[in-house]
Amino acid sequence: MSLTEKAQGYVKDKLTLEDALPTKLPVYLNSMAYLFGVLTLCSLAMLIASGIVMAFFGPNWYHVAPAGKFFNSIHFWAAQLFFAFMMLHMATKYFLGAFRDGRGKTWMIGVLTFGCAIFSGFTGYLSASNWSAQWHAVEAKDAMNAMGIGAFFYTTNYSQMLTLHVAVLPAFIVVLVALHVLLVRHEGPVKPYPPKGEARE
Amino acid sequence: MSRRSDEYLRGVPMKPYDLVREGLIALAFVAALVIVLALVFKSPDAPTVRGEDVAKNHPLAYMKTVADLLSGESALESYGPPYTADKENIQRIVGPGPAAILGVTLPIDAEKDLVIAPLERAAVLNKDVAAALAVWKAASEDARKAWTKAYGDALDKAQEAGGFVKVPLGDYGPVPVMAMGMLDLGRAGLLEGALTSGEGLPYTLDGTKAMLFFQEDVDQGIAYGYDMHGSQWGITHEVGNLPGPWWLWPYAIWYQIPPLTTAPNADVIVGSLMLLFFLLLLFAPFIPVLKHLPKWIPIYRIVWRDWYRRKE
Repeated sequence: MSLTEKAQGYVKDKLTLEDALPTKLPVYLNSMAYLFGVLTLCSLAMLIASGIVMAFFGPNWYHVAPAGKFFNSIHFWAAQLFFAFMMLHMATKYFLGAFRDGRGKTWMIGVLTFGCAIFSGFTGYLSASNWSAQWHAVEAKDAMNAMGIGAFFYTTNYSQMLTLHVAVLPAFIVVLVALHVLLVRHEGPVKPYPPKGEARE
Repeated sequence: MSRRSDEYLRGVPMKPYDLVREGLIALAFVAALVIVLALVFKSPDAPTVRGEDVAKNHPLAYMKTVADLLSGESALESYGPPYTADKENIQRIVGPGPAAILGVTLPIDAEKDLVIAPLERAAVLNKDVAAALAVWKAASEDARKAWTKAYGDALDKAQEAGGFVKVPLGDYGPVPVMAMGMLDLGRAGLLEGALTSGEGLPYTLDGTKAMLFFQEDVDQGIAYGYDMHGSQWGITHEVGNLPGPWWLWPYAIWYQIPPLTTAPNADVIVGSLMLLFFLLLLFAPFIPVLKHLPKWIPIYRIVWRDWYRRKE
């Protein structure tokens, strides 16, 4: 069997169109708590869209031109919402035990996304070319240096932080989020814990 | 649905769902919220601290910074990796400490790179600075230390007047001229360029030396003013009333708890703790207590209340 055939088989087996774009859901999905995931995705979309505009025109634009400052503010608030929704998503999924029934991999990819997002947010602050960026770089370097990370991750090196922020870390995040969402769609939503009186798992 | 989904959800009642519609509504909601927040609250944009501003507005602080760097006893001088080979400040819990493993990858000599090198550029334009530099370079280590010590002590008694610094008379060798040379570089707006140029490119890719120049008293003092000092939850705060990266609170909180408030190896302890917590979070589905905790805390009964009402 060729690699292409194997890939076809994998997709057919693991992710049918009905899984990717479902038209029905189990009735137990009946809470606002299930919205945090999609709200996180939407915040990420806003981050990427505003980030592309900012990358196109560059730092000198988004800290000087009124339109640039507006897009900078869009990016800033999208990041705030992204982290708020992501942490609510993570907390609710944890307290629903959403990693049960073989969904550990999905949880782990989500946590890795969270870890990447932390570094992405950090490099974003370092790329802002304002006082906060300057102070973050100076203050945070000691923690990075103490952990040995500072031997190759130079918080005071603007070009390194900017390129990590606009290229490398978003690429990781997008790939991880895509994997996470594909797994979520493939596995379907985890069942509730058994009701009172029924045997515990 | 996939075989797996069919099997998993067999017997579970289903309801109609429109994923695309839900996604579009959520996107519209988030977009509207972000745009309103951006229009109303804008974003933090306090100006950076530049040599020109400090030289013009706080010349004494500027001169003290220069004297400290020139003394060979600045914090940067014995910082350790990745800047210097000193080992006494490497933070460790056990063993040699993580910083010692990769060693010096960004060598910086505070005195030479942050003062002498920019002064050598100033010396091309200013013969007094050139002469002072020549005296400095020809002097013994003891003489240099005596001059910078005396000049540093004198700056503690000095006063600012008209954008300049009045220093009591004393034997400071070439240090006052050198310090003035540095101040002039700053006042001309050339400090950052003098610190970071000369890397083989006509533009600067790495501002490390310029960032490190004011990292001590100047930056620390400004951070205090903005409520952003490490003892004030540091970088999790933002200028004004805007939110900072609050998601780092679980990290910053450790620095507010004794003995980590003053521990010389606090960074490596906190960093190790956060690495441990991250691994616990990552492997939570496989760690005995953590994987059962959601079952014991009935938050799930709130989220699935309709389901349990139907079943119980």
